[in-house]
Amino acid sequence: MRNYFRLLGIFYKNTLIGELEYRLNFWANLALSLFWLTWAALSVRVYFFHTDTIAGWSYPEMLIVMGLFFFMNGYRQIVPAPNLSRLSEYVRMGTLDYILTKPVDSQFLISLRHIGVYNWGDPLLGLGLAAYALWRLGRVPSVDQLLLFVLLCVAGMVLLYSFSLILQTPTIWLVNVERVDAVVQGLLETGRFPINFFRGWIRGMLTLIFPIAFMTTFPAQALLGQLNWGMAAAAIGLAILLFTLSSVFWRFALRYYTGASS
Amino acid sequence: MRRLMRIYRVLIQTAWATALEYRAQVLLWILSSIFPLVMMVVWLAVVDEAGPLTGWGRADFISYYVGAALVYHFTFVWTVWQWEEDIRTGDLSPKLLKPLDPFHYLLTEQFGWKVFILLFVAPLVMVIAWASPAIHYPITVAQAAAFGLSVAAGFMLSMLMTSAFGVLAFWSTQVSNLYQLWVGVGSFLSGWIAPLALFPTGIRQVAYWLPFRSTLGFPMEILTDRLTWPEIGFGFAVTFGWCVVFLVLYRIGWRAGLKRYEAVGA
Amino acid sequence: MNIIHVDNLVKHYRVHHREAGLRGSVRSLFRRQYETVRAVDGISFDIAQGEIVGFLGPNGAGKTTTLKCLSGLLYPTAGQVTVLGFTPHRRERSYLTQFTLVMGQRNQLLWDLPAIETFLVNQAIYDVPEVEFREMLDELVALLNLEPLLTKQVRKLSLGERMKCELAASLLHRPKVLFLDEPTIGLDVTAQAAIRDFILTHNRRHNATVLLTSHYMADVTALADRILVIESGRLIYDGNLGGLVERTAPYKLLRLTLEKPVDGHDLSALGEIESADGLKVVLRVPRRNTKDVAARALASLPVADVTVEEPQVEEIIREVFRKGSGHA
Repeated sequence: MRNYFRLLGIFYKNTLIGELEYRLNFWANLALSLFWLTWAALSVRVYFFHTDTIAGWSYPEMLIVMGLFFFMNGYRQIVPAPNLSRLSEYVRMGTLDYILTKPVDSQFLISLRHIGVYNWGDPLLGLGLAAYALWRLGRVPSVDQLLLFVLLCVAGMVLLYSFSLILQTPTIWLVNVERVDAVVQGLLETGRFPINFFRGWIRGMLTLIFPIAFMTTFPAQALLGQLNWGMAAAAIGLAILLFTLSSVFWRFALRYYTGASS
Repeated sequence: MRRLMRIYRVLIQTAWATALEYRAQVLLWILSSIFPLVMMVVWLAVVDEAGPLTGWGRADFISYYVGAALVYHFTFVWTVWQWEEDIRTGDLSPKLLKPLDPFHYLLTEQFGWKVFILLFVAPLVMVIAWASPAIHYPITVAQAAAFGLSVAAGFMLSMLMTSAFGVLAFWSTQVSNLYQLWVGVGSFLSGWIAPLALFPTGIRQVAYWLPFRSTLGFPMEILTDRLTWPEIGFGFAVTFGWCVVFLVLYRIGWRAGLKRYEAVGA
Repeated sequence: MNIIHVDNLVKHYRVHHREAGLRGSVRSLFRRQYETVRAVDGISFDIAQGEIVGFLGPNGAGKTTTLKCLSGLLYPTAGQVTVLGFTPHRRERSYLTQFTLVMGQRNQLLWDLPAIETFLVNQAIYDVPEVEFREMLDELVALLNLEPLLTKQVRKLSLGERMKCELAASLLHRPKVLFLDEPTIGLDVTAQAAIRDFILTHNRRHNATVLLTSHYMADVTALADRILVIESGRLIYDGNLGGLVERTAPYKLLRLTLEKPVDGHDLSALGEIESADGLKVVLRVPRRNTKDVAARALASLPVADVTVEEPQVEEIIREVFRKGSGHA
């Protein structure tokens, strides 16, 4: 286990050094993050010219969800996206063969080998927005609520990773499937707003099948004291379940891959 | 002129063939751009809460955003990234060696994609619109023609606007970021975040004179029968005016930039 | 008739000096320091119609920059360049239709479509009449063996096959002048030979003028009667290939793989020892004597394998720099 941490250190150190070479991009990206965050906050403000609450959520409360969306989207661009989007390249170029011969777990390698550093602003600024919104509401979450929040965030990140992997794994069979990450990105966009805005079957789909609700709405509700431990347990349970599913699916795909390749 | 037409025919054919090659990707990309539908859902939630807003009810929002999602794909072009990449990598050089202005390549490439969308995606949306009771576009044939023309004009304006920004890549590496900022600000004034009718009069008046509306709000307002013919004429005049402005900026930047072009990277 | 005339061409670049460290980068955000790179520093030459001329020089010497000035991609800092009577950097359409530049590492072929599609695009752009186009296409297909490649997607072609299609695409409009920048780089031996043969045949048939740059001695030996050697932006040799080789590298390399170690004296009796690495020995032998020495080596030494090699172009160039040149 410690070996895996050391590997991560090695992988990421060089990426960081390489990326920091492009100083202008570094600061430009932060400025861009700030711009889009402000843009999002202002665009939501437009809705509130016409009403004070939407589906029971006030403007600052919605900003918390928005901030957590930026956090999750940033995380997506840092870990799942840069790694899993390379899968089709691995298969096409034969790099997957190398990966399978290494004495390191293949799922670890395809999931964590790379790290996307150009968008480090989103997660930080997203959390900042959520904090600002809490301040606007005059709320300070209790320790309990903060703990719930952290647990839900972690569960959300595991969920996002797991279903990204599940969606990407079919690349093993259909080599030329590209831009699957566009689907994930699109679905995550619904996470900008609280799940209550969606109704009927869409809400059900976004809670149970593509569990976006767990990624932004539920952690926000934790901060607002609207969530209980039962929900947290459900979130963690779902995260473990989906992670296991993604892992099993991955190994199943590998069996096909190694069986079929000459 | 005949030579140019022949060139366009061939270039559009190859652009079309390339688009076909990537059809799976394109469809995936289009299907995953559900952001306008998300915005629609939020507006519907607002209407649920506060009732119709200055005459915009549920059906109005659904009609507007479904149409907007399609129009967006017709007027959005990624030319600015193409300029940036060509200049940065030196891929502009092979284009410079040909006796044809690079703009023609860029235009026909984008156009190939738009034809693809027209033939494969638009019918799908139209079927959905026809089948859905909430979606209504109560327009005459003349208005439909004006709508089509406004979409084409919006496309041309996007091409010229992105090229005017694109040639700045001769001097800066941050051009596509700059363009994103421009579009980001513009999204408030184009009818994307909210139909322009829902903004205070002052902002609306300003938006009528700016180029952003031409790529989304203007066509949509025609399609949803909210403009009189004089107003439509005014919208076209504004679009045309901005086309001229960006064309001039583009050509000036092009001439100056060429002098600067170092053709790096072999 | 001189169709390429270069008179004291100078091309300088201003490059900004990137400082290391975080503070340096921040500083460079506000005030940039520039330095001047003298890519081409005063070159003059004339080329007549139908000549095949080789441009030799180490990396960064200015070869590609010169070619780009001749094709109008770069504005000269000073000096005069005339090709076919045109000033290249004006990029007049009538000039653009009369020459072609092929860059070994850059392609103009449409990636996702068969090569034939690019050919048709070029036909339209260069306004080539149908009859002439078909004629030229048939000739190119025959000479380069393109028949099986035409309908395959370009991205599925091997590097050699792609290069052949690139060449074909750039010749369909029958340019009078060909600028070839490293046309055989990265190709295997067969492909290189095919391209060399083709260039020679094409030149003979159409009397096109060819200016090519290359790292490979074999390219130059096979194709160019005349060599221009460039180093650090200056022309240091302009003349006949034979003369250059004779003058600067009057030797060949004898590469021996021995069966068992041999005393150094025995080796140096045969020729100058270039390198000795265990059982692998490389000797420098004067050109006139190569056959003799090889025979003697085989007779007197326990040799498992022997090859005779031309010295590397780099080696020759290094020699040229060391000894100075006969022509400048």
